[in-house]
Amino acid sequence: MDLSREGIVEGLRRIVAPADVVTDEKILVQSSVDNFRKLQNIFDVHTMPVPAAIAMVHSAEQVAAILRFAAEHGVNVIPRTGGTATEGGLESAVPDSIIIDGSAMNEIVGIDAYNMQATCQCGVPLQALEDRVRELGLTTGHSPQSKPVADMGGLVATRSIGQFSTLYGGIEDMVVGLEAVFPNGAVTRIKNVPRRAAGPDIRHVVIGNEGALAFITEVTVKLFPYFPENNVFLGYTLKDMATGFAALRAVMVNGYKPSVARVYDPGDAGLHFSHFAAPDDCVLLFMAEGPSAIAQATAAGIEALVAGFPECSKVDSAYIETWFNDLCWDASKITAEDERIRQTRNVNRTTEVSADWGSINDIYQAARARIIAEIPDITMMGGHSSHSYINGTNMYFNYFFNVVGVGPEQETDKYYLPIIAIICEETLKRGGSIVHHHGMGKARAPWVKQEYGSSFYILETLKTAFDPDGIMNKGTIFPL
Amino acid sequence: MSGADDTRASGSPGPLRVLVSFKVTPDFEALRPADWAAGAVEAGTPGAGAASATGASSPGASATAPRDEVASASGTHAAPRVPTRCVRRVLNCFDESALELALRLSDTLAQRGGGADLAALSIGGREIDPHLTTLLALGYERAARLDVESDLDFAPAVVASLIARYVARREPCDLLLLGCCSGPGDGGTVPFRVAEALGWPCVSQVTEVEALTGGGLRVACTTDEGLLRLTVRGPAVLAVGNAVVSRLRVPTLRDRLARRDAPVAIVAAAELGIDVAAELGREPTALRGLEVVDRARRGVVVDGATPRDKARLLYDAHLRALLEAP
Repeated sequence: MDLSREGIVEGLRRIVAPADVVTDEKILVQSSVDNFRKLQNIFDVHTMPVPAAIAMVHSAEQVAAILRFAAEHGVNVIPRTGGTATEGGLESAVPDSIIIDGSAMNEIVGIDAYNMQATCQCGVPLQALEDRVRELGLTTGHSPQSKPVADMGGLVATRSIGQFSTLYGGIEDMVVGLEAVFPNGAVTRIKNVPRRAAGPDIRHVVIGNEGALAFITEVTVKLFPYFPENNVFLGYTLKDMATGFAALRAVMVNGYKPSVARVYDPGDAGLHFSHFAAPDDCVLLFMAEGPSAIAQATAAGIEALVAGFPECSKVDSAYIETWFNDLCWDASKITAEDERIRQTRNVNRTTEVSADWGSINDIYQAARARIIAEIPDITMMGGHSSHSYINGTNMYFNYFFNVVGVGPEQETDKYYLPIIAIICEETLKRGGSIVHHHGMGKARAPWVKQEYGSSFYILETLKTAFDPDGIMNKGTIFPL
Repeated sequence: MSGADDTRASGSPGPLRVLVSFKVTPDFEALRPADWAAGAVEAGTPGAGAASATGASSPGASATAPRDEVASASGTHAAPRVPTRCVRRVLNCFDESALELALRLSDTLAQRGGGADLAALSIGGREIDPHLTTLLALGYERAARLDVESDLDFAPAVVASLIARYVARREPCDLLLLGCCSGPGDGGTVPFRVAEALGWPCVSQVTEVEALTGGGLRVACTTDEGLLRLTVRGPAVLAVGNAVVSRLRVPTLRDRLARRDAPVAIVAAAELGIDVAAELGREPTALRGLEVVDRARRGVVVDGATPRDKARLLYDAHLRALLEAP
């Protein structure tokens, strides 16, 4: 890098309005981390390099100009919209980075109810888009827990997935086209068509790039008719996860498409379902949706299949419906959770992986046992499967620990990273993927070569081709 | 404020005996507005209870039994009201403060070479037991549940008599801590009723409790005039209000393992000589109605090209009149 911090700020002020270049030290320090090191913001103890500035962009052309400027001077760039990343993807790994913040690009460009697609800029909150299309009786079908706080650009950049994925798919199944800006300033647009076979599907170069290859400025996603009145909920208690995985597999293999299909282990179930499940109960649940005939048939088919598992005891569906209606994390819940951590130093973390049906229970059991045995101060170690496919499912490890004997800024080193290491090791050992839907960020980047194996050649070549100067989000996906 | 003489609370040998009475409530945050509206409609129907319009609560002690399926009037009062069966149970927030304050008090005394003997009490069904087990893992020596099936929301006199009788017959203590009120019906009379029954002083709206080195306690409480600090010697009832300490610490899996054999005592009301059904028949307080109050905040988006523009718009439209008012 050949520029001082002042030089970077000066350069940015020539590209965007001076008021759009944020240099407030407190904001910059807070922006040096994301939720991966959230305790640093909760306790206001920071250790990461401080960015030089945040540039609030309003157009793809501004993004292109900043990227050209950064490439010319070798300045690291961190693309950001909603800022809700959980795996360190938004951390500043090196000093004096530029954060390109697209949250001001928040226009819903168009909603095409005939062609069932909506186009929006990267900074449109998913909740805003969903609210708008709901007025037309439509839905995006995308509902991650972060829906109230996450923006479209970031959701696409991290290959987000929502709670209804078993029916609608992940964000990669929803994006029909997009606009992205590459480090050389090239503004590229992938047109919106239902399918294409004109060579490789280049959407997937951009979707999930986590700001390591390009900045996403606009996305077009599918829309679906919305029939909430037809939703059918099913819930069961059972005594072991192996049975739960088997029941999920039966539902998927037999071709049913519930929007939600989950199994919770006793620890995780205790957080949500203690009003009807015993402390050693697992909980299996489904939601069927769509036109009435489909929803009813789906629910009836699932009921019949689960009846083949006598270990599963049906519970009142009202339990599941009420729980599901309160599942998303809005700003007030996040604030309350931060305060809980501040007072108790008891921290909740999650790590999600995926594997085939033949491996997932072994990964769950092995990782859980090792974490309990090897990591101190664990207060809850559990998890659930929440996204299933014809050939396998995910495991969402959900765990809590007390931070004891170290400062809050050391929480990641003492607890979080060692737990992630165990989960990655046990997953890779059995052929699974170490990341299901949070993105690699910087937290899991050290395992990228093991994750990809010989196909790392493809990934690495993308990086060197599109980002030859290495300015895009250093440390994310590709470890420093 | 000074209660009856007491050796432990005034600095003499022996651990300070602290009983915390807490309530497990439905997670009202998880209810939908439609649930409350349905409850209001049902409460407004003829025969849906009659007596106090305010509805005193059972704070700090009783529990809403899931089997009753509603946050409702007690005893003979009509049910259902607000359907709460489908939401999980959580610690009443004021009681959670009380439970953590007791642990911190114990920590402080232990650091000084003394200690506290902590006990916990709640009233209701088995849904409370996981909370009692957690308290045992956190260092509470004893945990007890008064096994009462009846819905005791809006029955503060009954709840108070159960707690007071438990203290008198089963768990003598120097300090009784409980939350000042609870979610379903915020009458806030239980602590005072318990204190009256025991003949002890009661400090309300407690926010901090600190052990004095010479014995006794320094208790902070909020009043209409501001913060009041009192020296308290037990026995006394402390009704915890908006304490800064609002979250209960969490035991590790190893803590739980270490106390896995510690029993939760299940005590029948009859063992205390109380006929709950008969007491409910004499309960002077009842829920008469529910009304949905819209407390939604509203906002105005100040839109301007620059922060300076926005500040100007904010000042002109919303602040100038306030600042320039005589």
